Formats: sequence, structure tokens, C-alpha cells
Amino acid sequence: MKVEKIKQNAFVKKVGFNRIVLIFVLILMYLAFGALTGGSFFGVSRITNTLNYVYFLGFLSLGVTFVIATGGIDFSIGPVMYCCALVSGYSLITYGVPMTASLIMSVLIGVVFGVFNGYLVAYWKVPPFIVSMASMNIAKGIAAVFTKTQSVSWPQSSTADGWYRNFVSMNGIPVGLIIFLAVSVICAVVLNKTKWGRYILCLGSNEEAVRLSGVNVKKWKMLAYIICGTLVGIASIFFVAAYTTVQPGYGDQYNNEAIAGCVMGGTSMVGGLASISGTVIGVIIISLLQQGILALGFTKEYQYIITGLIVIAAVYADVSARRRKN
Amino acid sequence: MANKKAFGGLKGREIMVLGIIAIMAILFSILSPTFRTYPTLVSVLDNSYYITLMALGVTFPLITGGVDLSIGTGLVSYALIGGYLIVHQNVPVAVGILACIGIGLLIGLFNGALVALMDLPPFLATLCTCMITRGLGPALCGGFGVSWPSAIAEAGAFRKIFKFTTATGTVIPVGIISMIVLVIIMSFVLDHTRVGRYTIAIGSNKEATRLAGVNIKFYHVLAYVISGFFAGLAGVAYAATYATIYPGSGAGFELDAIGGAIVGGVSATGGVGTIFGSFLGVIVICLMKVGLPFIGLQANWQQIFTGIVLIAAVLIDVVKKKE
Amino acid sequence: MGDIILTMKGIDKSFPGVHALDHVDLEVRKGEVLALMGENGAGKSTLMKVLTGIYKKDSGTITYEGKEIEFKNTREAQDAGIVIVHQELNMLGHLTVAQNLFIGREFKKGIRIDDRKMNEEAKKLFDRLNVDIDPTETMSHLTVGKQQMCEIAKAVSFDAKVIIFDEPSAALTESEIEEMFKIIRDLKKKDIAMVYISHRMDEIKVITDRVTVMRDGAYVGTLITEECTKEDIINMMVGRVIYEEPKTESAVPKDAPVVLKVEHLNAGRMVQDVSFELRKGEILGFSGLMGAGRTETARALFGADPKESGDIYVNGKKVTINNPQDAVNCGIGYLSEDRKRYGIVVQKTVAENTTMASMQDFMNGIFIDKKKETEIADKYVEALATKTPGVDQLVVNLSGGNQQKVVIAKWLTRNSDILIFDEPTRGIDVGAKNEIYKLMNKLVEEGKSIIMISSEMTEILRMSDRIVVMCEGKKTGELDISEAKQETIMNLATREIE
Repeated sequence: MKVEKIKQNAFVKKVGFNRIVLIFVLILMYLAFGALTGGSFFGVSRITNTLNYVYFLGFLSLGVTFVIATGGIDFSIGPVMYCCALVSGYSLITYGVPMTASLIMSVLIGVVFGVFNGYLVAYWKVPPFIVSMASMNIAKGIAAVFTKTQSVSWPQSSTADGWYRNFVSMNGIPVGLIIFLAVSVICAVVLNKTKWGRYILCLGSNEEAVRLSGVNVKKWKMLAYIICGTLVGIASIFFVAAYTTVQPGYGDQYNNEAIAGCVMGGTSMVGGLASISGTVIGVIIISLLQQGILALGFTKEYQYIITGLIVIAAVYADVSARRRKN
Repeated sequence: MANKKAFGGLKGREIMVLGIIAIMAILFSILSPTFRTYPTLVSVLDNSYYITLMALGVTFPLITGGVDLSIGTGLVSYALIGGYLIVHQNVPVAVGILACIGIGLLIGLFNGALVALMDLPPFLATLCTCMITRGLGPALCGGFGVSWPSAIAEAGAFRKIFKFTTATGTVIPVGIISMIVLVIIMSFVLDHTRVGRYTIAIGSNKEATRLAGVNIKFYHVLAYVISGFFAGLAGVAYAATYATIYPGSGAGFELDAIGGAIVGGVSATGGVGTIFGSFLGVIVICLMKVGLPFIGLQANWQQIFTGIVLIAAVLIDVVKKKE
Repeated sequence: MGDIILTMKGIDKSFPGVHALDHVDLEVRKGEVLALMGENGAGKSTLMKVLTGIYKKDSGTITYEGKEIEFKNTREAQDAGIVIVHQELNMLGHLTVAQNLFIGREFKKGIRIDDRKMNEEAKKLFDRLNVDIDPTETMSHLTVGKQQMCEIAKAVSFDAKVIIFDEPSAALTESEIEEMFKIIRDLKKKDIAMVYISHRMDEIKVITDRVTVMRDGAYVGTLITEECTKEDIINMMVGRVIYEEPKTESAVPKDAPVVLKVEHLNAGRMVQDVSFELRKGEILGFSGLMGAGRTETARALFGADPKESGDIYVNGKKVTINNPQDAVNCGIGYLSEDRKRYGIVVQKTVAENTTMASMQDFMNGIFIDKKKETEIADKYVEALATKTPGVDQLVVNLSGGNQQKVVIAKWLTRNSDILIFDEPTRGIDVGAKNEIYKLMNKLVEEGKSIIMISSEMTEILRMSDRIVVMCEGKKTGELDISEAKQETIMNLATREIE
């Protein structure tokens, strides 16, 4: 069998060609938005806005990277994040649950959804898109029923319970960025250096072969969904820390943006191939894009349309790259 | 054989769903006296039209082994654009209706191209079109709600297709007749024409169908075009049933239709399904939607139940396969 | 012999990195059955795909009924009368038999498909071919053999002038093959030309008139079947004589300890009351025809598929095996016939595949000990002489034989004492085959025990110490190698059918 080898520069090989291209795209985009808005895009407030978006979307995207690595999909993440924020926020405001407990509750709700999704996909072999649809609806339903369809406002920074907002920034220090990057590093380590990640990637590539190696694939597959759920719970904390107000019935659009970040970063939709660093850069690009569209004076409807088209393009690139290989 | 037709040409699953409908109707009627009144029946039917139409269409992509998630936000978007043309651009109602259906058709074609020609995973491709259509309506119409001409106005005559009010004020839900006619037509299409036969064949074994010399790309695209066309029709039905269409709504509508189809026996992995089953499944969903408030539950419980019912319906198939 | 109906001349076809067909010639006459033979990867299927328009040829000419032709797709080929009966069954499980037969060319009444007429036509067709199949039955409810008959019936229904059989007997029982041959002889009388691709020498001798041999994408030569021997064909296929002496005497002492004992194993139709013992250092051959239930037995034993009943003893101790994990913990390793699907993760590296089954031994705290992993992978690459540029090479880039070695390395790393080799040399070229054999012999010398499922008689006779023969889900015999002869095995393998 003949194997064609492409000679690669050592640096490019190490960092990965895709990611270098992505970083160039990122810089070019930033400059382009700056130029199109006559320089007003370069302000600190835009950077802060972009970063606020990066945080929660980043956690969603990191989470869904694990699920996509198994060859599955989860597009309930947006509504589930809203559900976490709404249910725990409502408990905080209306039932006087302490702040710390509310934050823990946010994460736990995410974990519960992760367990639910993972159990159905891994142990009952329900197609992931069906599970996603179902838990999207269940999450929206629970949030609406629990809050009686009222929006929830988490405490402002000035109040006693406002300390949670320090997760995003404290005295001008972008704490959120530090936490996000730290979690990304942990995710990268988990995915590439541990047994968990190894099994998740391998079963995404060929589940049956891994099963016949005596590995409990169901357990590891479910784990990917639980990791995703946990990160979605964390995302909800960063969402409220950045924006404080949450309204039931929404959250769908973040599914697409999170998946967009993930797929742009080079994670393959058929599973087995995932890159955390790619996801991080992808998410920053998507967040910058959302800000850029608004800065250019377009409404959020255009965000939807453009993000949709970008995901299509990214997935198509993935599909056609694989077709070329075969 | 287990899946051979049982009596009266109905399949086992359809009989089961009929039973569920009967049980639900009886249960709601016992628990709530106001449920068993004529206005409630009309309300159930009013709620069911646009979902039924979506379900009739989406059954085709589902049977090919795909899915169309863009129908929910799609129908709202199409109705918005159609309404915008009628109200703000003064085009005749008929043209507005045609525009509504036509855009649905185009989006269906777009979905079909993504899935069948470009080989994208159906749920992801249509999730993207779901977002695109969600933005499309408001982006074209300026982000305001639109009301199609009301039933009293002369231009609102199209609403009579779905709900006819007699001179004495009695409301006749004539829409059900159109639905039954469409169910019969689409059953014929699915069971007795090439379009249906090849839709099932693609869901059963795409490669074998290709090798049989069938132009699978055409029929695969067509399945999504049918879905888009019916989303357009659903847009008209939605505009006819409800007073105002709000931009940004419609997310989650698709689940009622897809859930209905799957409850009605369409396989989540393709190859299996009937139009009549999808229709019955939609009735189950609509009964829940309308019925739950009658027994004192908040309307949003329906979302939770729909999610659970969807999982349950798929689990029945999974367990059956295991046996 | 009839006139020439089809000539392919100088057909050339390249894929990126592979010269699949190198100026191949082929000639088919009316009313003959032409065998097309060659090792796996010799280019037989590619040639047929070029003929029927699935692939586009780079150069060369195809002349059919005196005219030069080039089909754009299978549909065009079908319409012209050239039809393939595929190796993998192309059925639509959810549709009925008649709907399958006429897929793509349904009878119509207006826009309505005339299912009644299709059922009638299908019935007529089956009557003509003397097969008993209900056209209204759902396809997935038929046996594999019946499904194959439908495929052939479908080919016939095209008014085909040339029918290509691509390994048609692979999934058939002896009696079904006989039935198929009857049909083929019938078709011959009707002056239909047939190309018969098969690996089964005995079938070739029985049913074909001429044999065309291909090797490495090139045409080697054509023989008259009656005038040639098996050796002649084999020599042309491999280009050298490879006749191995069968084993005559088992080296394993009769009182060697029993490492694995299976009693009354039941798992569906394909595994009925199977019992056997495996001794230490022994290669236990499992012989039988396709569909005899050997793979199913192995999979049930390994916990890959659920079993209904049966006791399994490992080293004298009764064990419970409900899933592959249990089996692996008992020291059993399974090497599937379909490596790409069940054996390896092709998109991962040699090292990652090697440690797949024994991750827990390569942990350093919560991290994977990559150094140790590389060491062990290196060790086995060397020990098994796996040809790979390095252990960080993706397995997809290795050849079949080397992929098999990676799977072996996986189980050796896990320290499995009982190895189940399911068709260990399928899809592996001759040279690599011998290496795998040597390796298996070395493994049993080191005290491992092997169950070897094989459909190749020579492989069974060459490697096994004892032979279990199965037929239609039942064990029909057990032979010591000293008393095993091809005829006895065949007899046991087909006992119940006749």
C-alpha cells in the first residue's frame, strides 16, 4: 500500500495548520471590523463585550466538543443553560436560597441533563438528535413552569450577593478569561492525556472495535455527555454573571453558535477527531463576529443568518476534506 | 408477520395511537367537564392545522433517515414575509399566500441541496437553516409583528378555509376537511407513487437504491422540498388561525410535528412510517397542548410531556428491536 | 461455444496512489460462464465496475454486441443488458420482494405504482426460475440465501445478456448454491453470457467454461476450465507455487490442561447447543460453510452478542461472560474477520490501538503514560515484525496484514491467553499470510491457546491440532488432525443439508 506523505514544516505540524489559519482569520476579522466601523470597534468596551460572550459560549462549546468527539450531537445546550440559570436564579430570588447554593445548583442541573442525555444515547441507543430535541423541550418546559414564565434577574454587583459577578471581571481584571483558559487547558488535558479522553475519541472513531476490546463504551459515552452537561451548568453561571437577566423560552441560538465554534476549530462532525485549542479560537471568532455584526449596525437576526451560513460552510469543509481522503 | 397489516389496513402502531387518543380524550373529559365541549374541540383542531401540515411534510425527510428542524422557525418566517407583502406592499392575498408557500419551497430546496448534494448531516444542516429562517423573516420585514387580514375583512376570506363562521355565529372547523384530504393525498404519494417508494428506499438502503439506477439525489432533495412546501402551507394555516405573527417565534414548533410523526410510528432511523400515523401522532400532541390547562396544569407542561413522549416513542422501537 | 458478445481491451484505471487496472483485456462469449479469478485486490471488482459505469476508465475500449460503448451509470448498463449480482446484498429491507425486484422501474398506472402487477410479474419470474418466494413478503424477513435468489431473479428480469456474479456464493448454503447453479445452467441454455467472480475453486470447476486470471491489476491469462487443474489456476493467480503440506500430527499432548470449556452454548438460530474444549497450547480449528454459525459462536462466547444459555469454564473455573469486558477479564481476546469494523480504530495510531484493551496498565496517576505506551508498542512492532514507519503512524495507512498484527499486539499487551482468530488471513496477501501463520504457531508454543475460525480448507488443515465442524448453528463433529481429511470435513459441514 502506498502512502502519500505531505511534508510539513515542523512548527506548522506542531501547532496544526488549521489553527494557524484560524488565528489569521481572527486577526483579519478584527482588523476588518475595525476598519469598517471607522476604528470605533477597537475600543475597550467592544473587547469586554466580546469576552463576556466568549465566556459562556466558550463553556458551551467546550462541552459540546466532547459530545461531538463521540460522534454524537447535543443541541439542547442553549436551552439547558437557560434552564440552569432560570431555575437556580428563581430559587435564589424567590425562595431565598443562598448564592453559593444557587451557583452549585446551576451546575447540578446541567449535570442532571448531561446524565439524562448520556444515559439515553449510550444505554438506550436513542439517536442523539432525538434526545437533543426532547431535552431542549423539557429544559424549556421546566424553566417556564418553574418560573411561571417570568424572567429572572440575578443580583447586581452592588448588592451583597453580587460577588458572583467577579467571576467575569474583578477590578478590571478579566477573571473570566483566566478561568475560561484554565478550564480549556483542563479540557485539553482530559481529552488528550487521560483515559477518559482516549476512550471518548476512540469510540467516536470506531465504537464497536473499542467495545470488542473489552471497554465499557456505554460508560465512556455517557461520560462525554456528563462533561458536556457540567460545562453547560458552568456556562450558565458566566452567562448570568455577564448579563444578570434571563428570560424563559429562549437560548436556542446559542446551540448553533457553540457548535459553530467547535466545528470551525476542526472538530469533526463524525467523531473521533477533536481539538480543544481549535474550539477556543473558534469560539473567539464567533463571539467577535456577533459583536462585529452588531457594531456594523445590523440586528441580531443577521447574526442568526450569518452564523447559520458559517456552520454550513465549516461542516461542508469537514465533509469534503473527509471525502478527499477516502 | 409482526408488521403485516392488521385489520382494516391499519398497522399495529396506528391502532395503538388511536387507543392513546381515546384514553386521553376520555381522561381529560372526566377530569374537566369544560373539556368535553364543542369550543374545546374547535380549539384542538385550530391548534392542530399548522402542526399537521408540518408533520405531513417532515414525514418525508424522516423516512429518508434525515430530519428537518427548520420547519418551525420557517413557517413563522414565511408567514411573516407573506403578511408583510399583503399588509405593507399591498399585494393581493393570493400572491401573499403563494409567496409564503414559494419561500418554503425554496428553503426546502436549500435544505435538500445541503443534505443530498453536499452530504451534510441532516440535523446539523437543518439546524442551521432553522437559525437562518429565524433571522430571515425579521430581517426582510423589519422585525415587526404582522397580522394577516382578519376574517371579517374581505381579504380575509382565506381564513374560511380553516374556520367557517355561519351567519348565526356557529363556528365550523372546516379545516379538518382539508387536512383529511391532504392526509389521503399524501398517503397516496407515500404508498403508491415513485416519490414515496424511493423516499422509503433511500431510508432503507441509499446505496442499493442508487445502484438500482434511481436518481437518488433528486428524490432525496425532493423529500426536503416536500417538507419545505408543507412548512409554507403551515405558514398559511398559522396565519389563518392566529391573529398576529411575531418575529422570533416558531422555535420548538418543529418538535410538535416531528414528535407527532415519531409517536405515530415513523422510525427515527428511517425507512418506516405512514402519513396516517403521523397525523394521529399530531393529534396526540395537540390534545396534550390543549388539554393540559384544562386539568389545571400550566401550558408549558406540554413541552415537558412532549419531550418525554418523544423519548418514550423511540424507546418503544428500541425495545421492540431488542426482542 | 457462442460468439463474442463483449470485449474489453486495454482497460486502464488509476486511483490516487494506486494503479488499479493496468491495460486489462477480457472477452466474454454468449452462453458461457467465464470465471474471473485473482487474489483480493487483483482488480476483478474494479474491472466490473468500469464495465457497468460505476467507475470511469482512463483508457481502453469496451465493445459490446459489435458496438463500442461506455456507460455513464449502472442504469445505462442495465438497460443495455449488462447486470451485476452484487457480493454485498443490495436489498431494501423495509420494502417487499416485488418492490425490491422492480425498484427503479416500477409498473405504473397513471401516476400510481401498480403493485398488483408487480407481484404477478414477480411470481411469474420466480416460477420460471423454480424458486419459491412470496413476492409480497418483506425483504428483511427472508433468509440470506433467498435474498440472493431475489438478486439473481432481478438480474434475469432485466432481459440481461451479460450477468456478472460477484462472489455470489459467499453467503449461501450448499443446497442454495446447488439451486443457484441450476439457474445458471438454465440461463446458459438461453445464450446468456455470465462472468462468475469467486474464490471457491470447486465451484469454478463445476460451473464455469473458461477461467480468466488477474493479478495486481493486470491480465494474466485465460484457460479452458476442463483442461486445467487447480494448481494451474493458483499458479497463475500468485505467480508462484504455494502448496503447503497439511499438518499430520498434533504436537499438543492429549493430557494438556483444558483452558476453556464451553458447554451447551445457545444463542439464537445460529448457535444451538454448542460444546467444546480448548487445551493449552492448542490451535482448535472451526470449520464449516458460510453461515454455519462459527462467528456467532465466537461472538456469543466473547459476550459480544447476548446468549440464551450455556456454561463457560476458564481454567476449570466457571465464569460469567455477559459482555466483552467480562471476556477480556477472563483472558480471552477476539480478532474479528472484519478488522476495520471490529478490530482496530483506523484513525488512531499503532500505539493507541496496541494499548486499547489494557489502558489501566498505562496510567501514571490520571494521565496516560505515553512513554510506556510507546515502549510496549515498539516492542510488539519489533516482535511481530509489523511494517510501519513508527508507532505514531495511523493504522489506516497500514496494509491488511499489518493491521492484523496490530490487533494481535493489542491482545498480547492485554496478556490474553485464549485468542479467537476469526478468519485470520482474510483480505491478507499470500506473503503476509505465511507470516501470520508463523506467528500463530509461535504463540501456541509460548503457551497461548487459539481458536481459529476459517473458511479456507487448506488453512484449517495446515494450522489446526483439532477441528470442530459446524453446520447450521450446530456442532456436527470434532476431529483430531490425524484423522481429518477434506472429504470428512466437507461431509460434516454439509451433513444436514442433504
